[in-house]
Amino acid sequence: ARALHGKRRPYRAVDLARFMYDTSLTPKEALQKWRGEEDEEAEEDIEQDDDTFFRKTGNDEKEDLAEDRSIPRFDYEDLAAKWSNTDAVEALRSRFATANLLDEDGA
Amino acid sequence: MSTPKTEFLRFTGHRAFTHRLVLATLTGRPIHISHIRSASPTHPGLAPHEISFLRLLESVTNGSVIDVSYTGTTITYQPGLITGTTPGAGSSLASDAIEHILPATCTRSVTYFLLPLALLAPFSKAHMNVRFSGPGVITSATSTSGPGDLSIDTFRTALLPLYSLFGIPPARIELRVLARSCPGPGGRGGGGLVEMRFASQVRLPKTLHLNRRPGRIRRIRGVAYCTGVSASHNSRMITAARGVLNQLVSDVHVAAQYDPAPLVASGTEKGGEKGGSKRKMGIGFGLSLVAESSAEGVVYSADEVAPPQGGVVPEDVGVRCAYQLLEVIAQGGCVTGAAAPTVLMLMAMGAEDVGRLRLGREVMAREEIVGLARDLKQFGASSWGIRDAGDDGEEGEGGDLIVSVKGTGVGNVGRKVA
Repeated sequence: ARALHGKRRPYRAVDLARFMYDTSLTPKEALQKWRGEEDEEAEEDIEQDDDTFFRKTGNDEKEDLAEDRSIPRFDYEDLAAKWSNTDAVEALRSRFATANLLDEDGA
Repeated sequence: MSTPKTEFLRFTGHRAFTHRLVLATLTGRPIHISHIRSASPTHPGLAPHEISFLRLLESVTNGSVIDVSYTGTTITYQPGLITGTTPGAGSSLASDAIEHILPATCTRSVTYFLLPLALLAPFSKAHMNVRFSGPGVITSATSTSGPGDLSIDTFRTALLPLYSLFGIPPARIELRVLARSCPGPGGRGGGGLVEMRFASQVRLPKTLHLNRRPGRIRRIRGVAYCTGVSASHNSRMITAARGVLNQLVSDVHVAAQYDPAPLVASGTEKGGEKGGSKRKMGIGFGLSLVAESSAEGVVYSADEVAPPQGGVVPEDVGVRCAYQLLEVIAQGGCVTGAAAPTVLMLMAMGAEDVGRLRLGREVMAREEIVGLARDLKQFGASSWGIRDAGDDGEEGEGGDLIVSVKGTGVGNVGRKVA
């Protein structure tokens, strides 16, 4: 089955441990890689690109705006859309004490 | 110190500022942080809350040396002993607490200071009693589109109980909110008054094993607060939040807390109690929700506050807070993203034993957590082991991760028994 997946599976626990301590990546890059957002070609390009040094400043400014925060940023439009959907709420019901523990079709 | 040449651990950037300083203080390693907002054209160097945190650090330790460069973009910090509140030194109040005055330019909630302080406090030599006062104390949460700090209610109800898992009795931690305040105009300043008395110092915190299922949510508690606005905002927020949550849990209790807006002297800069005119500060409202699970020590929290520029109705705040809580619960794990740094750091600084912690994938995949893992390693802690929880049948995208953290056994220097 693994042969079918040409790309590596994202979100693998083993990968995270490897990327997390790879100090050549910034935390952001490491996480992007872990999520599989960054495709391999772009990665190759960066290594060959001589301009990386100069292009970095744009990122730095964005980094400077980011502060330490305890509450992650949420997009409330998305959240409202997600949680007004009854399917999502029902999926979460298993995490609540009111859930039907016996998996019976009560309703 | 005694050795003229000290080995500095070098860091760059302003991220994780308090965590790095706390780690330096706990491990006793001097650190050097450079490039603090050095690329910023408008506000280079340390921000007011960071300066204020350095002052706080200086007042609860003995023998710390802090050097800030002229531009404020580089600091060196040589940590001293964590003394806590020693009689006479710095504790100007009759109530034997260190008074820490936050400047009016402070944009962060008081939990920005309380979180790291609570990490230092168990390792302190004496009790850690600190009273936060001055025109910069914000007890509410700070807006999630802005700095994103926790409110003091979440800190008290969702974070302090976690200390009991480490063998640090929360019964001896007292957090008094003497005056509440929301962020003032432009998100700056407040006018609150908060006193934390942390009387449970330990020799060495235990590690913890939160690797089982996070249980089911049994009940939801919360605090709705409004300062200086109509008290009916509280019930409107609560009703809106209940509308979302009641379909899942029937046991929802939210306390309402109404306070008049604090008065802060304005006009003359020196203006003490007399002289300068006073104006109302920190008007606003917000909601803090905490979901308690049937498993011991598992709590989820959410915070939402009206932005200082206004323009949000209480119903929206309530609904957003409820949605945020659902999202946090859906992320899974035993500890929320807001509490994870505290728990992981206590585990790493605690007994030389492997502790396990179950975290949601999205909680783990935050830059703060990855940054913390790297910082801990640089301070000499061992790397984390990460594996899939794998007991809920779903691998890959959905399942939780189990993080194994080995403690370094730093412990409390002041409490070493001969």
